[in-house]
Amino acid sequence: MTPKWLTGYTLAAPAILLMLVIFLYPLGHSFVMSFFRWDLNTAESPFVGLGNYGDLFTGTSFGQTLRNQVVFTVASLVIEVVGGMAIALLLNSKLRGLRPARTLLLIPPMVAPAVVGLNFRWLFNEQYGLIDGVLVRLGLPAIPWLSDPGWALVSVIIASAWQNTPLLVLLFLAGLQAIPREPLEAAAVDGASAWRTFWAIVLPLMRPVVVIALMIRIIDLFRTFDVVWLMTQGGPGNASNLLTVEAYKLAFQSVDFGHAAAVSYVALVMSLLVLALLYGIPRLTARRSAWQA
Amino acid sequence: MSSALSRRRFLGGSLALAAGAAATPLLAACGGGESGGNVTEINALLITGGDRYPAYWEKVTSAFKQQTGITVKYDLLQFTPLTSKEITLAAARSTQYDVYSTHTAQIGAFFPHFEPLNNYFDTAELADFVPVAIQYLTNPATGELAAIPRNMDARTQYYRRDLYEAAGVQPAKTWEELVTIGQQLTSGGKFGLVLPGQGDPAQRQFADFLWQAGGEWLDQNNNVTFNSPAGVEALTFYRDLIQKYRITPSDVVTYQWNENSAGFTNGSSAAVFDWPGAFASFGDPSLSTVSQGFATAPMPSHKTGTSCAISHALAINKYSRNKDAAAQFLRFTVTPEALVDQYKEFKNYPSRVSTADQVIGQAQGMEQQWLSDLRTTIENGKEWPKVPGFDKVSTVVQTAVQNALSDQMSPQAALDAAAEESTRILQQAGALR
Repeated sequence: MTPKWLTGYTLAAPAILLMLVIFLYPLGHSFVMSFFRWDLNTAESPFVGLGNYGDLFTGTSFGQTLRNQVVFTVASLVIEVVGGMAIALLLNSKLRGLRPARTLLLIPPMVAPAVVGLNFRWLFNEQYGLIDGVLVRLGLPAIPWLSDPGWALVSVIIASAWQNTPLLVLLFLAGLQAIPREPLEAAAVDGASAWRTFWAIVLPLMRPVVVIALMIRIIDLFRTFDVVWLMTQGGPGNASNLLTVEAYKLAFQSVDFGHAAAVSYVALVMSLLVLALLYGIPRLTARRSAWQA
Repeated sequence: MSSALSRRRFLGGSLALAAGAAATPLLAACGGGESGGNVTEINALLITGGDRYPAYWEKVTSAFKQQTGITVKYDLLQFTPLTSKEITLAAARSTQYDVYSTHTAQIGAFFPHFEPLNNYFDTAELADFVPVAIQYLTNPATGELAAIPRNMDARTQYYRRDLYEAAGVQPAKTWEELVTIGQQLTSGGKFGLVLPGQGDPAQRQFADFLWQAGGEWLDQNNNVTFNSPAGVEALTFYRDLIQKYRITPSDVVTYQWNENSAGFTNGSSAAVFDWPGAFASFGDPSLSTVSQGFATAPMPSHKTGTSCAISHALAINKYSRNKDAAAQFLRFTVTPEALVDQYKEFKNYPSRVSTADQVIGQAQGMEQQWLSDLRTTIENGKEWPKVPGFDKVSTVVQTAVQNALSDQMSPQAALDAAAEESTRILQQAGALR
């Protein structure tokens, strides 16, 4: 008689093996690669320990890339979560004529990021772009969206938020529609304002959905490449450079795989830290509440 | 075999897996020699650049099969994805392709991964090729030729003949004239000049100004010199064209080659420095609004008239097991007849001096003028150094140039920062003498 657990593992073995080969093996080897000096055009690949990581932090541009990544991640999250929640609340209301909006919301997430990047590059073009054209017709000054170091990162954040906010709207809308009616009705009977109801009832009940949405977006934001590459290539200079773009430049322009792998792992560690904080804070809060009780 | 080398091959295996390439480290260890027997098929990764390329390569490979009996199975990719794929395949020591399209700009990264061609082309044969092409396709460390040039890539000045005649000016011969004429022709949303200002094209433009200012990238011992007074003068001039004289569109810091060409063909800029392919596209009414109103001139000069002269080329994969057959294909694509045919097809400047002379001799009118201007550029041409680590230096310089062009840093500060980092890179790569 074969034990049940053995049968289960036997049946799952092919999938586990495939997972190990196509995911963990390259992941592990790229990690190993980050400890070697490995350029395409040199014959030797000596072990350098943390040398590649050290080079990154002593280089001229990596600090700015890290700052850009933090600004891009935080700003995108704020815009997408606040905007997504606001739109979801609006769509969840009993206002008429909002049904088509729910359908339209599906479009941006379905568009390929490369297409989004190209479209926004055109929209933000300073010579014949639609947005500056409208601004000028309204008597406002044109904005150097992509050529100004300050505006370049803003432009990328706008494009990214345009594509990804609707995804959060859909998640939040699903969360809102799953909230039981009783506490909301009780709040209405007690005369609570809409704002008070939102903060005291809706948001706490929505917390699991918000946390999941944040996790999905944080992972995505640390992987963002297409939009930035097609809009600014990380420029001007390094003004909109993100970790993924830096890794790409190192691997495919500098042909320096050791440093490229190191950048990738810095991005991975950063995103894991943020996720750990995100996951850990609610648990700590919950424990503290339990002790106080 | 050193442990480092075997580890590299081992790591190469995982890269191959990631790339989906058929990496064979053990075979690579054997040097990937000839498979023996009569080879009837080779694989090539070739460049494409437009609608007519597939038919062109089909014609070439069919003719080659007719002559040799060898079938060439090929994949076509545009320049940038082609380079990325070749980097991945070379890192993985892939034997998938026997022949690669390549280019002078990237050749430095591939010296260890391309089969030296000195055994396939003797010195007498190579003497007919444009010297600057051979010079920069040769590994300076070993003296081995890594690729055979198919056509030259160099820039000339294209200008709006109609606008220049109306303004009573001649194409700029000097930096000063470039500014003066540019200012004269800049008004009402139209510009005197368009330039690239992003990525590799920005470095290319800076390189031209650097040489024209009398500067160099590195000295004889490979010490960084691009931040010399000449380098600062070059980058200051480049920045001033955009920020001070304002004779270019304000957003050229976001322009690469396509935007650079489009700035001329859409009629918004009166002059551009562009590649040979532009001559055909500028003159095509379906692609250009200025097809009837442009002409060419040599590149403007300052202390020198130097501009870059590089080339598209073909190479043999070092890990190929069909090297002799691959070499036959290379030889077939650079015969005088093949180069003339390539010129007729794409207006690609031939890589052989004798063929170029023949083509220029048969050309007429504006085409002959353009070819002569191109020859001037090529004869005085240079390329950035091909030393280990310079690919990474290029990326650093691109950022520095953009920092200066967008007024984030002064030219001096941007170049000094880049020079400091580049020195460390070249030290690590073992390039400093």
